[in-house]
Amino acid sequence: MMALRHRAGGRRRGPGPREQCRRLALAAAILLAALLVPQTAPRAAEETYSFDLSEIEKKPWHIGGYAEVRPVRYRLNPDGAFYKLRFYNRDEGDAVNEFNGRLQLEGSYEKGAGRLYVRTNTDYRRSYSGETEKTSIYEGYGTLRPGASFKLDAGKKNLKWGKGYAWNPAAFLDRPKDPDDPELPLEGYIVLAADWIRSFDGPLKTLSFTPVLLPVYDHVNDNFGTPNRINAAAKLYLLLYDTDIDLMVLVDGSRTARAGIDFSRNVTTNFEIHGEFAWIHSYEKSWIDTSGTTRSDTYEALSALIGIRYLTAWDTTIIAEYFHSGTGYSTEEMKGFYALVARGWQAYITGGGDALLRRALLVADGTYGRLNPMRDYLYLRVVQKEPFNILYFSPAVTVMANLNDGGYTVSPEVVYTRFTNLELRLKANFLFGGPDSEFGEKQNRWRVELRAGYSF
Amino acid sequence: MLQKLMLTSLVLLFALPAFALDGSVLLKQVDRNLNPESYEMYRKLINVEPDGKKKEFTLFSVKKGADRVAALFLAPASEKGRSTLRLGENMWLYIPNVGKPIRITSLQSVVGGVFNNADILNLDYSTEYDVKSVMEKDGGYLLNLKAKTREVAYDQLRMQVDRNRRVPVRIECLTEAGMLIKTLYFKDTKDFGGGLVRPSVIETDSPLYKGYRSIMIFAKIRKRTFKDEVFTLTYMPNLDSLR
Repeated sequence: MMALRHRAGGRRRGPGPREQCRRLALAAAILLAALLVPQTAPRAAEETYSFDLSEIEKKPWHIGGYAEVRPVRYRLNPDGAFYKLRFYNRDEGDAVNEFNGRLQLEGSYEKGAGRLYVRTNTDYRRSYSGETEKTSIYEGYGTLRPGASFKLDAGKKNLKWGKGYAWNPAAFLDRPKDPDDPELPLEGYIVLAADWIRSFDGPLKTLSFTPVLLPVYDHVNDNFGTPNRINAAAKLYLLLYDTDIDLMVLVDGSRTARAGIDFSRNVTTNFEIHGEFAWIHSYEKSWIDTSGTTRSDTYEALSALIGIRYLTAWDTTIIAEYFHSGTGYSTEEMKGFYALVARGWQAYITGGGDALLRRALLVADGTYGRLNPMRDYLYLRVVQKEPFNILYFSPAVTVMANLNDGGYTVSPEVVYTRFTNLELRLKANFLFGGPDSEFGEKQNRWRVELRAGYSF
Repeated sequence: MLQKLMLTSLVLLFALPAFALDGSVLLKQVDRNLNPESYEMYRKLINVEPDGKKKEFTLFSVKKGADRVAALFLAPASEKGRSTLRLGENMWLYIPNVGKPIRITSLQSVVGGVFNNADILNLDYSTEYDVKSVMEKDGGYLLNLKAKTREVAYDQLRMQVDRNRRVPVRIECLTEAGMLIKTLYFKDTKDFGGGLVRPSVIETDSPLYKGYRSIMIFAKIRKRTFKDEVFTLTYMPNLDSLR
């Protein structure tokens, strides 16, 4: 069939999968060898220590950055709906390799009460689908700070609202983060934002107010929502009875009105609890029913997140979160999409063309293909710091479960930061789920990647 | 009669220093001899591994009053821009990439190595500890300290104090059960100006990290006052503007 014809005519770029796999294994072996080298050298004799004061001299400008290489190997899942969508007209075998590179440059200039800051991001990817490269300004803004109590920012900036680690339903003015890698830097929006801060003695220790204006016009935040609007939002922060509390609101504009609240508190020195709640007015959701008909509904969406962070006596950090997405799809709504893909696939392999698959692909690139599109998730991350007294070495495992369909992912990783400014991370991601489940219908069964990031 | 009077006077004369030794007063003297109550300073942290390999961090720190401390990482590049804030027992870490402060605990360590967050964002000893007992030992004083609350990182401290300078020479940090967690050694006394003469190096080791050491070197400790708003989550990304 057509897939076989493509297999015969397919051409690969760069080294083959076996070669890339071998390189990945070699890199992993080098990483492990570095960790296991016996550290038996004698303790240094009594030393004197110096502190060169030129190291702390402040300059008005700063230039720095971050460079990263990240080869990845994916094991494909031929039964998955997303595999059928992406690979229906090509055959890449059982596995595909991908090479990712990232370069971030940042610079700042400070004079008096003013400061300019810019951070660019360049992503390079070479994969089965070819080469892509994209450069964008992640952040670029000016700050005016006439005193400790007031600040004004204008330009492209991340606001990062919310207290959740893996998800932030109340981050109304931020791009969604990837729960698989929540600490990755994100691209901001162009805003005009102020911060007004007051400190007090007593139960209310801090109060700060952050009003924000976010314009949406052609070429200005044009992927935020309905154009030709100036969106107003605000956040009120309180440190009250040793609890961080934020109240957030986004006025009706390019997106419908929404409000949120979050909190975070250390119950004991090693146990933190946090939560985040969001209400979206008149949220409009479109979905595909099992007959293939597109339907939509408008309703008040409520999302909630509750989580903990716990540090054991053995330096194990446990982060656990439950997330309910009020904008997510139900199992039935997801089944409608998977049924559409199945019908499209059947039509394609029986010579009926790819029109249905193309339609499904459009839907997948919208809401069905977003990160965690369903309603209820559980997130658990366990990080063991420096086991067996190996400093700078931290293994971790992350489990994310979809409570609606029973699927889950398991991601073990090791991070090594012994070398100044260099971080090495070896990470795998295994997906488990039955038919019509989110993780069972993904295009991959597992992936393994090595990330080497260098800051300068 | 005269003999008895002289004998009593002699006994009282020798007993006087012991009665005059008030542990709480001594601890407060130790605090003020280490830092002004509100200050700015620079520190270099060095983690030394058993094979002699080192990893260094440079920090700018500010403190106000009894319980407000903030620190900004200046180096290495991978840590630059990170900042930590402590308000009483509340601690936060701001990482530029993450973009918002997250709560941390006193027992964690943002730098790895033997120093933990409580060591890096330390308050005055008299703020966190009561003096259980004080005695003269090895030509100086030995203070036994007990944490005022369970939130304090170390339940007990055994502090050896230099008799003349009234600064610590060595501090043993212990659990409630008396298990040694780490020992801090205060070294290389230096004149920082403004009447502040104190050890410029703190070295620490721990039976929990056999063979590893961490060193903290102090520079440019200066008395300085700040507005309260500097010690807030909102200000954390902007600590560098204080330098």
